[in-house]
Amino acid sequence: MKNLDSVFAAYLIGWGIFFVYYLTVARRTAALRNDIERLKNSQNRSK
Amino acid sequence: MGVLSNTAALLGKELRTEFRSRELLTTTIVFILIVLVLFSFTFDPTVGESRRFGPGLLWLAFLFAASLMLQPCFLRELNNDTLSALRLSVSDPFAIFLAKLGANTLFLLLTELLLLPIFAILYNIPVAAVFAKLVMVFFLGSLGVSTAGTALSAISAQARMRELMLPLLLLPLLTPVLVASTEVTIGLLDRQPFVQWKGVGFLAVFDVVFLTALWIFGEYLLEE
Amino acid sequence: MWRRLIGGIAVLGLVGAAAYASFYVAPEERTMGLVQRIFYLHAACGLTMFTAFFICFCSNITYVFRRSAAADALAVSAAEVGLVFSTVNLVTGPIWAHPAWGIWWTWDARLTSAFVLWLLYIAYLLLRTLVEEPERRALLSALFGIFAFLDVPLVYGSIRWWRTQHPQPVLMGGPGSGLEPTMLKVFFFSILAMHALMALLLIDRFGLEKMRGEADIVRRELEAA
Repeated sequence: MKNLDSVFAAYLIGWGIFFVYYLTVARRTAALRNDIERLKNSQNRSK
Repeated sequence: MGVLSNTAALLGKELRTEFRSRELLTTTIVFILIVLVLFSFTFDPTVGESRRFGPGLLWLAFLFAASLMLQPCFLRELNNDTLSALRLSVSDPFAIFLAKLGANTLFLLLTELLLLPIFAILYNIPVAAVFAKLVMVFFLGSLGVSTAGTALSAISAQARMRELMLPLLLLPLLTPVLVASTEVTIGLLDRQPFVQWKGVGFLAVFDVVFLTALWIFGEYLLEE
Repeated sequence: MWRRLIGGIAVLGLVGAAAYASFYVAPEERTMGLVQRIFYLHAACGLTMFTAFFICFCSNITYVFRRSAAADALAVSAAEVGLVFSTVNLVTGPIWAHPAWGIWWTWDARLTSAFVLWLLYIAYLLLRTLVEEPERRALLSALFGIFAFLDVPLVYGSIRWWRTQHPQPVLMGGPGSGLEPTMLKVFFFSILAMHALMALLLIDRFGLEKMRGEADIVRRELEAA
């Protein structure tokens, strides 16, 4: 199969990039959610 | 006619400020000269090669110089806190931009014309016969560079790392000007010179597009 | 929560189906063979990139005249997502080009414009990191985004007129310039799948941005107290 490795590489890398981006967004969202929790807790404590 | 008279007054101020010290002009000219010399080391400057690569390198040098020269444009106003006074002095903020881009175009054009004979000598390309047409393409190209550059200078002046930010924002934006100006200049410096009117028209379109965009959005660039 | 999961699975299904179609439904191309199938991913990403950047452009204009935080959030999300699709487009292009035509890169209109577009939106995101005050950041990046998008047809036009050296291969002309009907259908389906993926990533990224705004508000309240 001529050029199978090129096709394979293209699709793998392409999907890989999407997946990595999705993960970074998910990670940032989770971190931010924790941040907000922390901030809200300290806000409640100071009240 | 308020806009035009405001523009004229502000343009006068810009020119007077610069010609008093001439530091911007001097440093820009020296910079382009250095770039031209350095470029000559990167290829074999025979007449044939020079005709092919020279115009592109010349315009590249102009672009680099402009991205440095346009830095103080709004930075000066921000540092001296004169921006609000400037805005109050005119009825239409577009006058401020017209004046600044007019001044920048003139400064660029001046440096380009001063360096043209040096370029012709260093790279062995005769330019006398097509001088007037070269002025035309220099003017249209510089107008495009100044219009985009003045707008972006207002943006980068308000960001951190502004010295690096302006070239970063400006240079990709100016690719059409680089391509079209180079092509027209190559045509003019050819053994059989000809005017690429398509390129001239294209540069005019670029200028109109960005002048219009500046007219519509300029006032927001000056918001405090 | 369930809506997100179902949405995610639906999108994955669409993307998977598009990939399947690219390999098993579309007929093999005469001259390039198997490697041509990258086209379905590459070109679909290219078009989706444009949609994302167009959404960014519209959000930029909306922000300048309406000053809504949602417009700013959408703008940066669309720019980032567009950049991701742009990256995939620029990476899969050479992987296709090298076995197909023997060269990694060519400075033709489409590729060069794609590259310049990539640079412009990197600059857009960089600009945003360098302005601290949120409203100023939103306004300045919106204005730059508008100028950048207006530049795109000019970039494409200038390079198409003066820098396109190679004759456009029939397939690269896009749909309607020589694509066989089945290929066309697979191509449109790929475009649909990529847009669904874009929508998913956009919604997630937009949610993140709105959350950032929320965090900022809480932070400011805390400082005020």
